[in-house]
Amino acid sequence: MGRWKCGDNADGKSDMTQDVEKLVEKCAAAAVTAQPGELTTLAQLHTDLQAICDQWRERPEAVASATHAADLVEKLVIGEVPDAEAALQQVSEQISELQALLEGKAAGSTEKKNETAAASPKEGSHGGGDEIPDERIIVEDDAPLALEFVGEANGHLDAAEASLLKLEEDPSDLAEVNAVFRAFHTIKGVAGFLELKQIGALAHITETLLDLARKGKVQLHGGRLDVVLEARDLMKQLVGAVEAAAKTNSAPGKQEGLSRLLSRLEAAARGQDVEGKAATPEAVAVNETMASAAPVAGGAAGGGATADATVKVATARLDALINTVGELVIAQAMVSQDLGSVASDQRLARNISQLSKITRSLQDLSMSMRMVPIAGVFQKMARLARDVSRKAGKEVEFVQIGSETELDRNVVEAVSDPLVHMVRNAIDHGMEFPEDREKLGKPRAGKLTLKACHQAGNVVIEISDDGRGLPTEKILKKAIAAGVVKEGQELSEQEVFQLIFHPGLSTAEKITDISGRGVGMDVVKKNVEALRGRIEISSTAGQGSLFTVRLPLTLAVIDGLIVKVGRERYIIPITSIEQSIRPAREQLSTMQGKGEMCVVREKILPIVRLHELFNVEPRCTNPAEALVVIVHEGTHRRCLLVDELVGQQQVVIKSVGSEMGSLPGIAGCAILGDGNVSLILDVAGIIHSALR
Amino acid sequence: MGAAATTDKAGVDGRGGKYLTFALGAEEYGLEILKVREIIGYMEITAVPHTPPHVRGVINLRGQVISVIDLRTRFGLAGRQRTDETCIIVVEISSEGRRICMGIIVDRVSEVLNIPGGSIEDAPSFGTNIDTSFILGMGKIGSNVKILLDINKVLTAVDAACAAGGEAA
Repeated sequence: MGRWKCGDNADGKSDMTQDVEKLVEKCAAAAVTAQPGELTTLAQLHTDLQAICDQWRERPEAVASATHAADLVEKLVIGEVPDAEAALQQVSEQISELQALLEGKAAGSTEKKNETAAASPKEGSHGGGDEIPDERIIVEDDAPLALEFVGEANGHLDAAEASLLKLEEDPSDLAEVNAVFRAFHTIKGVAGFLELKQIGALAHITETLLDLARKGKVQLHGGRLDVVLEARDLMKQLVGAVEAAAKTNSAPGKQEGLSRLLSRLEAAARGQDVEGKAATPEAVAVNETMASAAPVAGGAAGGGATADATVKVATARLDALINTVGELVIAQAMVSQDLGSVASDQRLARNISQLSKITRSLQDLSMSMRMVPIAGVFQKMARLARDVSRKAGKEVEFVQIGSETELDRNVVEAVSDPLVHMVRNAIDHGMEFPEDREKLGKPRAGKLTLKACHQAGNVVIEISDDGRGLPTEKILKKAIAAGVVKEGQELSEQEVFQLIFHPGLSTAEKITDISGRGVGMDVVKKNVEALRGRIEISSTAGQGSLFTVRLPLTLAVIDGLIVKVGRERYIIPITSIEQSIRPAREQLSTMQGKGEMCVVREKILPIVRLHELFNVEPRCTNPAEALVVIVHEGTHRRCLLVDELVGQQQVVIKSVGSEMGSLPGIAGCAILGDGNVSLILDVAGIIHSALR
Repeated sequence: MGAAATTDKAGVDGRGGKYLTFALGAEEYGLEILKVREIIGYMEITAVPHTPPHVRGVINLRGQVISVIDLRTRFGLAGRQRTDETCIIVVEISSEGRRICMGIIVDRVSEVLNIPGGSIEDAPSFGTNIDTSFILGMGKIGSNVKILLDINKVLTAVDAACAAGGEAA
């Protein structure tokens, strides 16, 4: 299609409008992200603004705004303005006016095509969003774009949530307001381009409110902050709907409650006080106790530029990369070994050692790519804690420790659900009401701590509260009533605690919409066990309870001790090893009904014969001639009987393959330096099967 | 070649095509070439406990851990000392919608044959010590007969046996 700059036919006009629209959009984006010092961006902005002046001559007010903005930018570039931030702000305002003009124009002009609408959504009409336009079908060609938008938008929304939670603590923090504003602004821009009308409308109104907050005209706290949070949540749902629609090439469904929220946002923007959904306005303090790693979520919020610093890569490719690097490491090891056999060449030796250094760092790097910090999940919990505590009428101080702890991204995703249940339970069941807490001499706000750390090759996530603790009596009564436990049966405290994982046992007196239907903890246990993890409980009446979730770092490098049994080599995770010894004859004994025992430092430890467990021909069957490796798992300890210790090595855990079915006692396998496969022992599994 | 092309038309039942033939004891077998990923020499196999006898273990195929099946044991043939010709054919099969690679140990790999559909007959229901459901057909090459395997069935049935074995253990 040809292009006429000042054509008077409809096509030419629409083309010109498009040009102007593109320029305005570009300027708007540039004005939001530009920093006073970025001369290239500013220069580009200046050029674009002048282009707008040239192309939009028929609207004097547009030319005035654009010229004004261009002048300001020019002054910024030459450094004539005392307050650069304020000047940038003014530029943004001028550009906003241009956008407003553009909307009026788009609506007024008689367009044959709706291309113009593509660039500027109808913004749900300023009258309160009473009518929400129908969504277009996302055609196949647009799907990749839409999906990219979904990923981006989710990132922005998560960052916005983190900022909003911080704002709750300090409503005057303008940097955070700006971060939230930028998130919605960017979403609005792309949504307009993709013709996502509901998202566009919601983003626009939220942005208006945030803009007011940015300028200090309204304060974001209480009900107003709630509304913005709700807008974020609804936006997330809308984005989810877009994702689903893009995958099925359909139109995103209409979101219920959108128009109601829109009018509440409008009201908030007009400066009226709005009631949040949860009417208890006590603030929930969200403490960031960890020192270093806040920037994970906060960093994205801090500067729009960080988003560009990440690249999305398909996991399959990442896995392929990791495999290839693994092979490289093996090949490199082989070359190094060959070097030993040839005549020593100084140069060659030096080069190869350099090569091995590079290979090793390459391996570390590729491994770290699959690892993500748990901060995202923790942030989700912070939000959940806030919402649940309000609903339940409780005050909660949420503390997160170690959110920089990294684990495999698959695990991160899977661990979120169980944590949701446990956090909910802790607040709804565990915590007392503020008045009751005061009577008990506790601070009004209950403390909920989420802590993550690496421990013994596992990731340990602890959820602790200082509430009333687990009501053992009540649990027992329920269990007896449900027939799970027989009357008069003696149970240890631990066994009673474990009863809460029994399906159908809920100790909540009344069922709330938060928790208490007796589904939950059993699902939690199932989910955690599916990740080959475990949950431990400890609780003191009146002082609170502690749930410890231990998860393996599935796809991670572990340090392993390679042991030999007969011709087979096995890997024992170093972290579960206490020591290895050659037992003296007097240390060994056989106990009636309990099997062989080994006395180590006055502790009697059962012996597990690996060759019997795995049915291989051992070199030595007499423990006094072989070696025992003492392994531990929680409080349980066992002696594993092996022929010899080969050495210690870092290995990459791989799965043995689902076609093998479940393999008791085997956690996975790894490829050793010589390229052969070796099985990794599942110490916990071995100990637990030995217990049974 | 021309003759092969004309007779190829007879392969309307879809069985005609290229087969990789290999030997197992005295018999010659064939499997569809499209299922074959590669052929590798025999290498050290790591035994995996609590698996049925025909599952020999796992090997490292360039960073990917794949399981290896001993086809002799699978077919109930007597074990045989491995020779220089013993090798592992890596095949790609689909199981429950997923593609997985598995290795099969054979005595010797022979050649790739183009067997026209007209030369393939259904498996006889007698006279063989192999469960015939695994057999795609019998390929006639001159006076020889090659047993064409449906490797997917051979190996996925192994899965089932494997899982059962795992539960029993």
